[in-house]
Amino acid sequence: MKLSRIIRRLVMLLAVSALLLGLPAAATAYASSASTGTGWIRLAHFSPNTPAVDVYLYSFGNSNAQIVLDHVAYGTVSPYESVTAGDYSVAMRAAGASPTSPPVLSTSVTIQAGHAYTVAGMGPESGLRLQVLDDALTTPVGQSLVRVIQASLKQQVVTVTFGSTVLVSNLHFASVSSYQAVLPGTDNVTVTAGSTSVHSSVTLAAGTVHTLVILDGANGLEVVNLEDASGSGQAPAGGVSTGFGGTAPHGPGSPVPWLAVIGAGALLALTGGLRMRRSGLRPHRQLRTGI
Amino acid sequence: MPARRPAALFSLAAGLVVIAGGTAGLLLTRHPAQIVRPVAGVAALPAPTGPIVAPPQSADPRPVPRPVSLTIPLIGVQTSLITLGLTSSGALQVPSSTAVAGWYTGSPKPGAIGSAIIVGHIDSYTGPGVFFRLSELRPGDKVFVKRADGTLVEFRVTLVQTYLKDRFPTQAVYGPTPDPELRLITCGGAFDYATRHYLSNIVVYATEVS
Repeated sequence: MKLSRIIRRLVMLLAVSALLLGLPAAATAYASSASTGTGWIRLAHFSPNTPAVDVYLYSFGNSNAQIVLDHVAYGTVSPYESVTAGDYSVAMRAAGASPTSPPVLSTSVTIQAGHAYTVAGMGPESGLRLQVLDDALTTPVGQSLVRVIQASLKQQVVTVTFGSTVLVSNLHFASVSSYQAVLPGTDNVTVTAGSTSVHSSVTLAAGTVHTLVILDGANGLEVVNLEDASGSGQAPAGGVSTGFGGTAPHGPGSPVPWLAVIGAGALLALTGGLRMRRSGLRPHRQLRTGI
Repeated sequence: MPARRPAALFSLAAGLVVIAGGTAGLLLTRHPAQIVRPVAGVAALPAPTGPIVAPPQSADPRPVPRPVSLTIPLIGVQTSLITLGLTSSGALQVPSSTAVAGWYTGSPKPGAIGSAIIVGHIDSYTGPGVFFRLSELRPGDKVFVKRADGTLVEFRVTLVQTYLKDRFPTQAVYGPTPDPELRLITCGGAFDYATRHYLSNIVVYATEVS
């Protein structure tokens, strides 16, 4: 029947336009994965009586070194290198040794995306080992995080304070304290070993992570202040209002008026169709009313 | 009877015409995004000249000079940098001019260890702002910051993201990083004409070239 076909088409048309109306909503879905799949690694030499070494970083299963640090002496820390997350191995050879010679020492390290690691040669030369440290990348709001690496062979046990805050008590040679949150500021770091102590002025800013390394210096203990990571001490709240809309596409406006027009058209067509049907199917009625 | 059929036919035809018109009007007003963005001939700029500094060491880092200008050759950005703080409500201040970008003084300085924050407008009430083409950047593109001592820091883009403002990833953007990084922030996404604000932020992540 002709009329029902028309109505069916009308319904189809309305369904299709409803579908098209839904499209812009689907197109505004946002990608949210913030990861580039990389982490960070740095290499350090904290063994007081071990001569300088060459340090190699290999991606697991690849015999070509990704990073080579030549002649790394006691107390040296490399900058962080950004590397693809995955399994790596770190090898140490005597400074100047052939890259193909068997390493003195090696260890494996798994680097997770968004995480930072320090791989350090620790201990005395006779018991040298490579230790993998997980480095913090977040701080409590408005505070600084700090830890201590005890790398002095001459003073085997130390206590370290920042101002009046004790960072760690009786830390033994070749060990690492856990991170401690401190109120930010500039203050004296005091390292006490037996009856001797050394002071060093250190600034710990909010939103920063530090490692204090205690070394054997030429004249007693030395404190090296490593800034491991830094961010905004006070993170701004929410998003940023950086636009006034001068280049924004104008809004589509309400679909209601157009839908009303379509509705009115449908009503008009339906009325016309019904009247045609009536006059076409029941001519006797027309005759009767004509009398 | 002869008068009735043409009237009904007319009604049906008129109805169909009105439906067609209404549908056309509806569909034509549903695709405003096709308005052409004025990407008018902003030529790529040459890289700035000056001594490029090496990345900082993490041991006893020296003070880093403050940033004075920003150059992004690929998208024709060349702007001085003003300083920005926080508003009374704790939000990030934005430059009062849409033609310059600003560095958030509560963040690390560009070229120091950590995530330095630089903010610029995508547009004004009438046209493009300094960061209008920021979303065109892709990983590997170069960004230069000149410091007060005339030295340059060179960054490479690693990631470009769009975030809904009510789901802004504060930790990823403002949190600590162990290497010298840069975050370039502007607006993007849909514009809400009721509140006159963009609903999203575009964040470009970049890392200092070593």
